[in-house]
Amino acid sequence: MPVLKNIKAIAKGMSITFMEMFQPTQVENYPDGPGPLRGARFEERYRGMHVLQRDENGLEKCVACFLCAAACPSNCIYIEAAENTETNRVSGAERYAKVYNIDYNRCIFCGYCVEACPTDAITHGHGFELASFNASNLIYRKEQMLAAAPAHMGANAVFNSADVAGGAPALPVQGS
Amino acid sequence: MPDVTLTVDGKKLTAPAGTLLIEACKSAGIEIPSFCYYPNLSLQGACRMCLVKIEKMPKLQTACTTVVTEGMIVTSDNEEVRQARKSMVELLLGNHPLDCPVCDAGGECELQDMTFSYGAAESKYMEAKNHKDEQQWSPVVFFDRPRCILCYRCVRVCGEGMDVWALGVQNRGVSSIIAPNKEDHLECEECGMCIDICPVGALTSGAYRYKTRPWEMKHVGTICTHCGDGCKTTLGVRRSDSGMEIVRGDNRDKSGINNDFLCIKGRYAFDFAHHPDRLMQPLIRKNGKLTPANWEEAFELIGKRFAEIRDHDGMIGVVGSSRITNEEAYLLSKFARVVLKTNNVDHHRTADFPALAAALSGKPDSTATMREVYDAPAILLIGNNPTDQHPLLAWQIRNNVRLHRSRLYLINSQTIKLGRQAAGFTQIPAGTEGKVAAYLAGDDAAVEAIITEKNSRETWNALREKLRGEQKLVIIFGSEIRGNDVAVLVKFGSGVHGAKFVCLADYANSRGAADMGLYPDLLPGYHRVADTGKFHDEWTSIPATTGLTLPEMVDAAKASKLKALYVVGANPIGRLGLDPFLFSKTFVVVQEMFLTETAFMADVVLPAANAYEKSGTFTNTCGDLQILKKAGEVTGTKSDFEMIVRIADAMGFDVHKLVPFGAGERTDMGQSRGAQSGEADRHAVWLEARGLEPKMSPLEPTAILDEIQRLVPGYDFSRINLLAGNDQHTTLANSGPGAIQKPELIVPANDNLFSSGTLGRYSKALHSVMESRTQQTSEVAAD
Repeated sequence: MPVLKNIKAIAKGMSITFMEMFQPTQVENYPDGPGPLRGARFEERYRGMHVLQRDENGLEKCVACFLCAAACPSNCIYIEAAENTETNRVSGAERYAKVYNIDYNRCIFCGYCVEACPTDAITHGHGFELASFNASNLIYRKEQMLAAAPAHMGANAVFNSADVAGGAPALPVQGS
Repeated sequence: MPDVTLTVDGKKLTAPAGTLLIEACKSAGIEIPSFCYYPNLSLQGACRMCLVKIEKMPKLQTACTTVVTEGMIVTSDNEEVRQARKSMVELLLGNHPLDCPVCDAGGECELQDMTFSYGAAESKYMEAKNHKDEQQWSPVVFFDRPRCILCYRCVRVCGEGMDVWALGVQNRGVSSIIAPNKEDHLECEECGMCIDICPVGALTSGAYRYKTRPWEMKHVGTICTHCGDGCKTTLGVRRSDSGMEIVRGDNRDKSGINNDFLCIKGRYAFDFAHHPDRLMQPLIRKNGKLTPANWEEAFELIGKRFAEIRDHDGMIGVVGSSRITNEEAYLLSKFARVVLKTNNVDHHRTADFPALAAALSGKPDSTATMREVYDAPAILLIGNNPTDQHPLLAWQIRNNVRLHRSRLYLINSQTIKLGRQAAGFTQIPAGTEGKVAAYLAGDDAAVEAIITEKNSRETWNALREKLRGEQKLVIIFGSEIRGNDVAVLVKFGSGVHGAKFVCLADYANSRGAADMGLYPDLLPGYHRVADTGKFHDEWTSIPATTGLTLPEMVDAAKASKLKALYVVGANPIGRLGLDPFLFSKTFVVVQEMFLTETAFMADVVLPAANAYEKSGTFTNTCGDLQILKKAGEVTGTKSDFEMIVRIADAMGFDVHKLVPFGAGERTDMGQSRGAQSGEADRHAVWLEARGLEPKMSPLEPTAILDEIQRLVPGYDFSRINLLAGNDQHTTLANSGPGAIQKPELIVPANDNLFSSGTLGRYSKALHSVMESRTQQTSEVAAD
């Protein structure tokens, strides 16, 4: 009987519909959702705004090798390098990036810079709210992209703590 | 030498007997990797990268030390050779820190390239690397020991090439290290050749350290603006917040007359361009004080005053420079005669070119090029100390003696360093160089003045006979020989078969300034002002009387007769130690980069661009003409060319008559603009070669180059060759009659390796080297 067949098909379809009603939703409630991301959810691999990472001592990982700028197909990375000194140590190696700008007007989030980075200093974060009314606001500086100093930085901020106990003046780590 | 035939990888090659296998392969397009092999240095066989399989030889052989022989069968690429190369790279990387991301050589490192081409992806070594801290050997040389692969190139170039021997090897075998000659620092000429030649980042430059990376820069091959030798220096230019910044000078482009060579000034002393004291704005004296003004105001004032003074028959003096381009010198010479209607033109003379032109007139092939100094079978050098004043010339002579067994005859009042290469060194009493010329030319009476305890009449006789018997002798003389002595020396030279001359002048374009007629009695091409000729036809109205020389202008200013003085890129007050208040009643206009002693008392100061910031041509002391390429621009400055044209315009002069631009003439579409130029300029070169390029503005120097080529004898060079960056020789054979001038007008600059006139005062790199030297000597003195 064709009628019965039709009813059976409708019942099967509606049962799937009703079952899905009790499953958790796949639709994001951004920007009205809970939490700091306001309901946005990311896959691990999502390529958002860049984050410049720090090492375990809180020093910047970037050594200003310019490989990210060389790899960049849209030529949006601008770097000026400088040399670390005894009193002003910014990165772990001899050199650090004094200026590190990314022009998000041009960036296409291809991730080549991340692949090129020999020290894993530049990574893609999950920042995505980059829209702006003014194009010049889209040039991000190093300070805006740098990862926050780690929580244990307080313990490491003075490198010569052993000497300090012996009466030597404390040498704080600059720029970290 | 007879040719031998050998087989490499199945290819039949022929090469002259005595050729090294590596060179024979190179010329056949077969690449043999190597680190320690460097053409024209002694053979080392240290790196073992060039191993090849040669039939009938039991083990792999080094191609860099093996000479080709008849019937040799070579395999440069089989499994055994590949494996050997792989192991060699692995060994070299054994203690290499692999800090390529921070290493200055990263991107132009031979070890990187070799590892990519021939190396293994992984290393078998598990041991921790042996780290040593970086050492600073001099203000400009840093050494990172773990990066060193012990190819000994630096040791050899310093010793054999420079004859300085400041680097050596300490210890033996695996514990060998490169070390400086004085414990922890270098005592040397700071030429930086070791840095240039280092295949890795072991030796790095203090001036360029950690500033940028090679691929981030644009590389502009231009001519060094310091001494008169005309080395090609490659400037690394980078975008910066003030436009373009020169961050490095090196010798990456080896196409110049200097081949591998560059001295401290060419390599580091470009930094004056970024000195904080650089003038960026015109200054006009108002109420006794120099106050910033705008360009229009300045040009209007200058134009008005110059026109007033000229029209009331007031005296105007013009002082040119030895560091402006040929085009600017020519334009200035023309501007003075045609617009200011005066012959009072002079510049800081450091050599007697008018006398040389007078002596060589009508003698073709009698001036030597800088390249010929490297090939000549015999060289006679009278006076001067090239090691200090002409580093490239010294390099050419030294390596000519070393590689070609050339005979160097040295006649000097002092013992100079080149004496170590000399076949014969003859010391004479100071100031008797002229007598030497006279004696050589056949005046036997002149020998009385030059006979010393060491050199008897017989010694001189023997020397003269030897020199007369030489062929293709290159006769090089410093400013000690001037006036009539030049003609006498040329007389001696005409008795020697194929003799050629080089007259040594001190600044980058001293020769050009002389050729372009910055003289009160001579027009471009050493034509006398009184002679009616093509210049009178072309320029019309040239004052017929000889003008004032610089000292005469000073006297005129003392007598309050000099109403205006126009100084382009010179510092006569500082250079001649004049009283600054001398020109207080004169209207003084100075085009300068810095507030020098002369600019300080000027009425109007115009900020000028330097030779690295403009296009044009330079002629070196031998007469080799080369093109300048613009590396960058500093905001707020203008080239001297543009300023001269603007002043002429402000005086109400028809600019077309000064700079022939527009219909029927050629101009620059950007061929010479260097870093800022792009693909389009290659087409412009093509158009230029066929005379098809459009004609544009009066502010482009090449607009006047046509006129120079047409009117100045010896400057009929090939334009396409010039634009391609080749050096071309300009001769004095067809030049005007020249003149015998007062010898005391020539004042040698007496610069050494670490000074460069007024310009050198503004170079931090030169200063840091000089300071480190005075410190070291004072330390020694305290001991």
